[in-house]
Amino acid sequence: MKISLKWLRQYVEFNITPEELADKLTKAGLEVESIDYLGSKFNNFFTGQVLTVTKHPNANKLTVCDVNVGDSNIAIVCGAPNVAIGQKVVVGLAGAVVPRNQHDPDGKAFELAKVKIRGVESNGMICSEYELGIGEDKDGILVLNDNVTIGIPLAEFLGLNDIVFEIGITPNRPDCLSHIGIGREVAAALKTNYKLPEVTINESSSSIENSAIVIVEDSDKCPRYSARVIKNVKVQSSPKWLQNYLSAISIRPINNIVDATNYVLMETGHPLHAFDYDKLNEKTIIVREAIDGEHFVTLDGKGRSLTAGMLLICDAIKPIAIAGVMGGINSEITDNTKNILLESAYFDPRSIRKTSKQLGLSSDASQRFERGADPNATIYSINRAAQLIAEIAGGEIQKGIIDVYPKPFTPTRINVSLQRSNNILGTNLNVCQIIELLESINCEHQVAEKQNAEKDIVTFKVPSFRPDLEKEIDLIEELARLYGYDNIETKMQSVIKFTSNPVQSDIVDEMRLWLVGRGFNEIVTNSLQSKELAYLSSSEVVEVMNPISKDMAAMRTSLIPNILEVVRNNIYHQTKNLNLFEVGKTYLKILQESENQKSDENYKEEDKIILAKSGIANFPNWAENERNSDIYDLKGEVEDLLLKFGLDKYKFIPYSTTKALVDMPVSIEINQIEVGYIAKVQKQMLKQFDIEQDVYIADLNINIFKSLSKIEKKYKPLPDYPMVLRDLAFITDKVVPVSEMQGTIYKAGGELLRTVEIFDLYSGDQIHSDKKSSAFTLQFFSEDRTLTDVEIEKIINKIVEAMKVAHNAALRK
Amino acid sequence: MTMKETIDEIRNQLDFEITKVNSLPELDQFRIKYLARKGIIAELFETLKNVPPDQKPSLGKELNELRTHAQNLHDEKKNNLESNQSSQSELIDITLPGRRKWIGSLHPITQTLNEIKSIFLRLGFEIASGPEIEDDYYNFEALNFPPDHPARDMQDTFFISKKTLLRTHTSPVQIRVMEKQQPPVRVIMPGRVYRNEAISARSYCLFHQVEGLYVDTNVTFSELKGTLVAFAQQFYGSDLKFRFRPSFFPFTEPSAEMDISCFLCKGKGCRVCKYAGWLEILGCGMVNPNVYKFVNYDPMKVSGYAFGMGIERITMLRYGIDDIRILFDNDVRFLKQF
Repeated sequence: MKISLKWLRQYVEFNITPEELADKLTKAGLEVESIDYLGSKFNNFFTGQVLTVTKHPNANKLTVCDVNVGDSNIAIVCGAPNVAIGQKVVVGLAGAVVPRNQHDPDGKAFELAKVKIRGVESNGMICSEYELGIGEDKDGILVLNDNVTIGIPLAEFLGLNDIVFEIGITPNRPDCLSHIGIGREVAAALKTNYKLPEVTINESSSSIENSAIVIVEDSDKCPRYSARVIKNVKVQSSPKWLQNYLSAISIRPINNIVDATNYVLMETGHPLHAFDYDKLNEKTIIVREAIDGEHFVTLDGKGRSLTAGMLLICDAIKPIAIAGVMGGINSEITDNTKNILLESAYFDPRSIRKTSKQLGLSSDASQRFERGADPNATIYSINRAAQLIAEIAGGEIQKGIIDVYPKPFTPTRINVSLQRSNNILGTNLNVCQIIELLESINCEHQVAEKQNAEKDIVTFKVPSFRPDLEKEIDLIEELARLYGYDNIETKMQSVIKFTSNPVQSDIVDEMRLWLVGRGFNEIVTNSLQSKELAYLSSSEVVEVMNPISKDMAAMRTSLIPNILEVVRNNIYHQTKNLNLFEVGKTYLKILQESENQKSDENYKEEDKIILAKSGIANFPNWAENERNSDIYDLKGEVEDLLLKFGLDKYKFIPYSTTKALVDMPVSIEINQIEVGYIAKVQKQMLKQFDIEQDVYIADLNINIFKSLSKIEKKYKPLPDYPMVLRDLAFITDKVVPVSEMQGTIYKAGGELLRTVEIFDLYSGDQIHSDKKSSAFTLQFFSEDRTLTDVEIEKIINKIVEAMKVAHNAALRK
Repeated sequence: MTMKETIDEIRNQLDFEITKVNSLPELDQFRIKYLARKGIIAELFETLKNVPPDQKPSLGKELNELRTHAQNLHDEKKNNLESNQSSQSELIDITLPGRRKWIGSLHPITQTLNEIKSIFLRLGFEIASGPEIEDDYYNFEALNFPPDHPARDMQDTFFISKKTLLRTHTSPVQIRVMEKQQPPVRVIMPGRVYRNEAISARSYCLFHQVEGLYVDTNVTFSELKGTLVAFAQQFYGSDLKFRFRPSFFPFTEPSAEMDISCFLCKGKGCRVCKYAGWLEILGCGMVNPNVYKFVNYDPMKVSGYAFGMGIERITMLRYGIDDIRILFDNDVRFLKQF
């Protein structure tokens, strides 16, 4: 909401700077977002008078003028042909920025300074209207009327010396969407009074009763409809003062009738509408609901298809306005309009909002009605507008007002408890303060018939322009606001108490830190993606009804596409070696929605952690050869992560079926529960993302991970007896999986064999091409004795035998 | 030569020869000559058998000493040679970079959130969370946004269905927590929220919030101010100035927005604070009694406050980031800066 300070001063006086006023309003909850000094571009321009004109000693076409600029006379070298003694002119002094240079082809602005022109000092410039940007005449200086006072700032002379506040009005304060509304708040903040403009109307002898009929069919949606008729107006441009006011707050002047209604709207906050009276069939206004499919062309020239429930203002046969939203072209004020009907109504907020939403049409009027206008303001506003129109457009105001108001508004009465107010705010207000504060915003203190013994409860009558004040808490808020948030003590007094829930360390935070330590960069990506991508990973996609774009029309079903996008963008910026992870959700629809279910039963959000590795495996260094990451790098990361969080019973099991987006998926299982999988991203996917290097990913389900992981730690005594290590290498067919060999070794090794780790894998010249050699380190120990070589040899023989039987394995010597 | 003389001579020989040893192979020669099983000293021990019994003890002692002496000379030389050798053959260029590993990083949003969490955890808050795909009921209705109310326009919403949406704030978690738990309730609720707004340098279609809620008997606005100022001083530094401005949120009343003096220009006015000297950091207020009705709390018995702050905004202010989109680009060159 734009507020002109000049305009505001009509209703309230203040002797503080605009910045101080802005601060007061901001602290009262009316945030001043910006202050615009409209006249600032005319700083250092003044009206002046040419006293003498003499020829320039060194230039034919120039003159040297002595100019009175109010408090002094200055010498100016002037090139204009029309300069003459006695002229009232506009003078720019040093420091002034001339809006347009008439010697520059683009008319660029330039700053004035004291200069010598051909040896003569010039202290300023006498300006043309082109240079000032207020007209197009370049042929000479602008000559003002003789009666102009000299020495006044140009902005003031032009009526542009206004200061405009942009105020952010919260939706609960429709009363502040006007200059009078802000005036009331200024008065409350400064503890002073505001005044409303006095309205006097000269009505003609003919009564409105004979010129118009108003029928309200739906008084729920239109509780009040007031109308006046003004005849024989002359539609023309508004006077300068009115145009200046409207322009200052960025409203385009149209004609005197429309401008008058806009002025009253911005003054009182009450929306008005003027119809061309002669275009109303049977001089009848009918307020009714629209019929489904009814068509109507609004003032902005757009055709609107209406639906049942929307409220219309109609004449005897056709709609002429969408109530409270926008008028129609068929009854708009034109230059030929002679007679007008003024509407000042009060419409139900919900109905207006619904209509405005459905039509996607919002106006200054609809914004006020949907937030809540003042039902008791219709008469004052319509009279104010009628007075103004009579003043600037002539015409005769018909006698009387048609006022359809079947159920007058009953003022809200609210009881405020002193104790509760202080309990909520942490203040120590007394009854007198409460009354004083609330009366400053026109809440009338009601003297109760039976005064409460403790005087704890005070009753207030709320003014009709404050629909937001309905309950006690609303007045407590007003108390806080008026008392000043700054004046409420800032203190922490609560006693820290633990609730019964035990504190749990967040395993996800620990996983994050672990991965960071392992060299992974955390990423955070969008959870919206295209439907095409979403359906690749699941058929149970959660779609967005009103997406911003097709790229974001669904909730993500996998974190893979996002991480691929990040990989792609980084490769594009030459970062090709990537270790990335993201902690994020995927979203699935699990049930068709039905009315009585809550959304969390219909949708599933899964917490995931995804790792991706691409490019070189280890940080490049000068001494070692580079090697590209492969599936074992990622498997290693996952194994370490699992072990770190106490999950040592894992199995990696290749999928028997295919999996979306990836090749060679390997499931990670713990006690037959799948925690996630590792895989290589499909070539086809990589291609879709323009990625030319392999990407390996691990995708883990955080909740399953959490539920399985044992954070609880228990001490196991260290062995008292030495441990024995033996290395064994077996030659087998290439296809025999290492994990199966390990299994065989463990089984044959018995309880003294503690670990079996593979330390070398060989295939090559020294053995048959179908064979491989797998070398294992075996660790033995006993808790109660030192093992002897004989014992170990016995076990090893058993192992060798078992390997032979199970895998046709030969011991490599 | 008597045995004694022989021993003395060998001792001198040892002392001389060891000075000629300049390499490990030479030292090995030395060892073989004197100390090996068939070396000079061992041979002398052999001849000990032939000396008269009365001289045996003293000569035996001398021989032992000789052997120890030879061994010491050998060992000492060996140490010297080895340490010399290592410093010569392992010529180190310490200006070469070491064998490094990748350096990871936490996303700046996570880092900011972690700090916020740690402050409130120390103040006795617990952590709660709720779904992002949310019912209209939790996101709006139970938070005192009536249907068809203009306040809903404050938050442009993505809809999944008529009654299901992507939560526009973390406030619905307040309701979910209060439904399950009786006062005292003291929780913070971090999470991802969505707004249907055009993506620009200043807004993204989603961002992260931390919501806070404290409901108990006798929680006051004064307490709210105290807690949030304590938080801000921990987070931004104890010398900051602050102010609370009245504002409007349907689920709190009185409502406020908290500003702190711009920590970049110290309140003088700069581009980041839009020359106001103040930075808005969070919204807050006393829980509106209407909200308690939805969770069956008695507004006559309890009171409480709630607050919410945007993590991206705080992160951007903190690091001087002027485009929110860079947080979601995940350019590793950007991530590595944190």
